[in-house]
Amino acid sequence: MNEWTLAALALLAGLVPCGIVCLRGSPVDRLVGLEMAGTVDTLVLLVLAQAYDRAIYFDLALALALLSFAGGLVFARFLERWI
Amino acid sequence: MSPVDLAVAALLLVGVVVTLFSCLGVLVMRDAHDRLHYTAPATAIAPVAIAAAVLLEERVSAAGVKALLVALALLVTNPVLSHATARAARIRKFGEWTVREDLQEGGPRP
Repeated sequence: MNEWTLAALALLAGLVPCGIVCLRGSPVDRLVGLEMAGTVDTLVLLVLAQAYDRAIYFDLALALALLSFAGGLVFARFLERWI
Repeated sequence: MSPVDLAVAALLLVGVVVTLFSCLGVLVMRDAHDRLHYTAPATAIAPVAIAAAVLLEERVSAAGVKALLVALALLVTNPVLSHATARAARIRKFGEWTVREDLQEGGPRP
């Protein structure tokens, strides 16, 4: 248990408010909660990669950052008029 | 504890605290536009602080460079995503953007 694991654990707590936002309010509110959760997840993966001391795990954080961006854009596009 | 360790711990603390407060901000605000503001610190300050911590610990190595790349990706993509989301929220509320007829080029149509 070093400071990186502790930081990852603390960051995970940030997912709780994001989850609550995803459960309430209008669809756009929920989308904002989802985007925020994606950011927090990316940071958790970033910190965990350093906690496990494996350079290859950083690719995971990079992939999630780019894919949650693409997913958010698709959701925003569909929320504009169809849903 | 060496100064570098202290700096790493401080940077990590900054990243974690900023992210947690942003999450709380997203939770307590009223509408989507207000909430969107609070996604910015978590994607601008926190990744840079955490990437700096990784870079301090690992020096310039594969891990350090990849951490910087992740921070850069978040920094570049989030403003675009915020804009797209705010635009979607506005269109849902007020409908599609149109130019008022009397403001269109050439004045009002006959």
